[in-house]
Amino acid sequence: MATVRQASVLPGFGLTFGFTTFFLCTIVLIPLAALVLKTGGMQWHDFVHVVLSPRAIGSYRLSFGASFLAATINLVFGFIIAWTLVRYDFPGRRLIDALIDMPFALPTAVSGIALTTVFADNGWIGQYLEPFGIKVAYTWIGVTLALTLISMPFAVRSVQPALLEVQRDLEDAAETLGAGRFYVFRRIILPTVLPALLTGFTLAFARAVGEYGSVIFIAGNLPMKTEITPLLIVIRLEEYDYKGAAALGFVMLLISFVVLLTINLLQAWGRRRLVRVGR
Amino acid sequence: MGSFVRPGRDLPENTNMSITLDQVTKRYQGVPVVNDVSLDIGDGEFFVLLGPSGSGKSTLLRAIAGLSGVDHGRISLHGRDVTHVSARHRGVGLVFQNYALFRHMTVAENIEFALRVRRVKAAERRQRRQELLRLVALEGMDNRLPAQLSGGQQQRVAVARALAHKPEVLLLDEPFGALDAKIREELRRTIRQVQRELGITTVLVTHDQEEAFAMADRIGVMNLGRLLEVDQPHELYTRPATRFVATFLGAANLLLAHQTRDGIRFGKTSVKAPAAPHGSREHEVVAVVRPEEVEVGNHREALKSNFLAHGAVEEILFTGALERMRIRMDGGGDVAPLANSNGSGAALLEVTRTLHEQRAFQVAPGQQVAVGVRRIHVLPTPLSSFTACAQADEQAETLSHHPLLVELATRMKTRISARVEPKFGVPGAACEAAAAFAGTTVIASEPQVSRHAEWLLERGADEVLILPPNAVAPQRVLIHWADEGVRGATLAVSASILRHVAAEAMYVGILPERTPDTQRPLGVRALLDARSEAQAVHGLEMRTELRFGDVASELARQLAESTGQMLILGVCAINGLAERFGTLLDDARWPVLIVHREPEGATA
Repeated sequence: MATVRQASVLPGFGLTFGFTTFFLCTIVLIPLAALVLKTGGMQWHDFVHVVLSPRAIGSYRLSFGASFLAATINLVFGFIIAWTLVRYDFPGRRLIDALIDMPFALPTAVSGIALTTVFADNGWIGQYLEPFGIKVAYTWIGVTLALTLISMPFAVRSVQPALLEVQRDLEDAAETLGAGRFYVFRRIILPTVLPALLTGFTLAFARAVGEYGSVIFIAGNLPMKTEITPLLIVIRLEEYDYKGAAALGFVMLLISFVVLLTINLLQAWGRRRLVRVGR
Repeated sequence: MGSFVRPGRDLPENTNMSITLDQVTKRYQGVPVVNDVSLDIGDGEFFVLLGPSGSGKSTLLRAIAGLSGVDHGRISLHGRDVTHVSARHRGVGLVFQNYALFRHMTVAENIEFALRVRRVKAAERRQRRQELLRLVALEGMDNRLPAQLSGGQQQRVAVARALAHKPEVLLLDEPFGALDAKIREELRRTIRQVQRELGITTVLVTHDQEEAFAMADRIGVMNLGRLLEVDQPHELYTRPATRFVATFLGAANLLLAHQTRDGIRFGKTSVKAPAAPHGSREHEVVAVVRPEEVEVGNHREALKSNFLAHGAVEEILFTGALERMRIRMDGGGDVAPLANSNGSGAALLEVTRTLHEQRAFQVAPGQQVAVGVRRIHVLPTPLSSFTACAQADEQAETLSHHPLLVELATRMKTRISARVEPKFGVPGAACEAAAAFAGTTVIASEPQVSRHAEWLLERGADEVLILPPNAVAPQRVLIHWADEGVRGATLAVSASILRHVAAEAMYVGILPERTPDTQRPLGVRALLDARSEAQAVHGLEMRTELRFGDVASELARQLAESTGQMLILGVCAINGLAERFGTLLDDARWPVLIVHREPEGATA
C-alpha cells in the first residue's frame, strides 16, 4: 500500500505523534512494564514453579486451545455469515446485521449465564444433547462455545468489507473463462479475502484469550480440566499471591505476543503480493 | 421508404450467422430492460451496440455471455442454441469496463487462467501466452502484477485473457470507459487490429457514437430496451428512420414539415424534395436537418441551396476546425426546430460551418441572415406532433398538460399544441379552426368519446388518442386492426409508440365465434404474417394471440385484465365507429390510439 501523507484536519505530525506515544504509554506500555517488573522481582526457581505447575499448564492448554478452536470456528462460520449478509438481500437482513454486534454490547457475564442456562443438562438445548452423552456446560466444549460467541463479531466484521470489495465482475470474468463455482471460490474469492480472514482470526483469537466473564459461568472451573488461565490468575490474586499472578500474566502475554506476531508476519507476507507500486 | 431494420444487408450471401438473437426479453421487477430484441450478427463482423445508459445494451451483452438469463426468446451462437447453456460452456470472451483482472495473479497467470481451468499443459500454455502478449503488444510483461500496469495496459491484458481459450465470440462491455482520450484511441486501434487478424466475431457495447463510428462494421442503436435500428454507420447517419437515432447519432435539428405532392413545406416555404410516395395526401412529417447541411447567407438570393427562412444569429462558438452557431428562426413556430441534439428546448437551429464557409461569409452575433438547407431527410415515422383538442380553452389547456401526453411528447421530441373546437362533437357542424388536423389529435376520455372520435376522423384527423385523466405510461400495448387496409399504418404507428415507451407489444387477432374449423388455420397464418411484417418493415417485435368472439368485447376483456395497458386500434370505415367500438372507447380507463386510413390504394 503506498504511503500517502496528506495534511489533515488534525494538527501536525509532532503533536499527533506525541499524543500517540503518551496514550500508548499510559494505557498499554506502563501497565505491561509493571507486570514484567513484578515478575522480574521473583526468584527464577519460584517463577518456574508457578508457571510450570501442572495446574497452570492445564489452564494454558484450555485457554489457548479453546481460543484457537473458537477462532477457527469463527473463521469458517464468520465467513459464511459475512457472505450471506454481503451477497444476498432478504427480509430481515439489516436486523441480522445489527444482531452480529450484540456480543460486543452484552456484559460478558450475561452471555455466560445465558449460555449456561441453555446448555445445562436440563436446559433448553442441553436436555436434548444429554441423552447422547454430550455435555456442554461445565466442560471444555462449553468454554469453546462461550469463546466462540464473544469473539464472533470480530471475524464477521473483518471479512465483511473485504467481501464487499470482491467485485462481481471478477467472478463473472472467471465464469466466462470456464471456471466452475468451486474453482472461482478457491482461486479468486479466497485469495482476495485471505488477509481479512487472517485479521478476523487474529482479533477473534486475541479476544478469546483475554475473555474471563462469560467463561467462568459455563466452565465449572475444575482445576486441570475446565480452568482457564485468567481464572487461575484471579485465584492467585485472591490468595494475595501477587507475584504468582504476575508470573502467569507474563506467560500469557508472551504466548499471545508470539501468536499475534506470527499472524501479522503472515499477513504482511500476503499483502506484499498485492502491493501497488507506482500507479 | 426503407425498412428500419436491415439485418445482414451488407453481408455476402450465405454468410454463417455467428450470433442470432430471437425475441430476447429480460425483465427486472416486471419492467422489460431488454425488450423483444431480434438480431443476426455475421461471422467475423465487428458489431457495435450503441445506446444511452440504461438502454439495456449491457444487459443484452451479459445475456449473450450467459451471465444473466433471459425471460423470453432464444440465443444461438454459430447455430448452437445456447439459451440455457451457462456462461462457462458458451465459449465467449468477455472484457469489462473496469478490466476485472485478478489482482493477486500476475499478467501471465491472468492470461493463462482459462487454459489452467482446462488443464492445458504448461508448455502449451506458455506458448499461447506469448502469442497473445505479442498480439496486444505487451511482450515481456509476464511477471508484472496488474497493479503495476497502467489502465491501458491492464485492459490489453484483459483482452488477451478473454482470447486465451480461443472463444468463438468476443464481447466488450464499454472497454474504454475508464481510459483517457489518447490511450483510448490507441487501444481502439489495437482491438480493431486484433479483431481483423483473428477474424473473430465481436460485439462492443458503448454509449459513445464517435467510438461506434470508428470501429463498427454495423451499429445497432438501442433505447429503452429496444433495438431501434441496425445498419452500417454511414447509412444510419444519413438515413435514420427514427427520431431517436437521428438525434443520438451526431447533431441534428428536427423540424415539423408537411409532405406535399411535390416536395416538403415548412410553414409557407416550399422546399424541393422527393415527393411523397404514390401520391398520398398531404400530411405532417418530421424532417431531419444536420447542422452541416445548413447554409447561411446575407440574403435569400445569395443562397445556393433551398431557402428555408430568415433568422438572427443567437450565438457563435469557435471550435477550431468548425464554427458552431445557433440561429433563432423568424416566423414563429412554423420553422422553429422541435428539438436539436443539445436537448435545449429553446428551439434554435444548430449550424456548423467549415473554415471555407466562414471565409466566404463572415457572421457576427445578432446578425440577420437567410438560412438555406442543402439536404433534408424526412423520417418515415408517424405521430409527428400532438394536438390537444377540446370544446373550451381551459379543457384543451388541461389536456395538453396531461402527464402521459407530456411524457410521450418529450420522449418523441415533439410538441403539443392546443386546439379549441366549440362545436366539437356536434353532428354536422364544421370545424372552427381553418387548419387541417395534423399529426395526432388528443381528446379526453368521457362517456360519449366514441362519437367525438368519429367526428374528428370524419373531419380529417388521421390518428386520435383518447386519454383517461389518470392514464400512465403503459407496460403492454395491444394492437388490433379492424380492417386489413389499415394494417401497415397501424403497425407503423405501433412501432413508433413502442420505440418511446418501455412496453411489450401484443397483436390480438380476433375471428368471429362461429368460424368453421377449416378457416381457423387461416387466422393463425394471418397472425404470423402480421408478426413478420411488423418485424421486417417496422423493426417491431410483437407477441401474437388469436381469439374468437366479438372484437370489441374481446379487446375490452383483455384490457380489463390488468392496469397499465394501452390499445392501438386501426380502422378504415369511420361510419358506425361509435356503434362498433362504443363499449370499448366510452369512458375507457385505458388510453386508446385510433389509427384511421382510407383503404390503401383507394385514394390513388
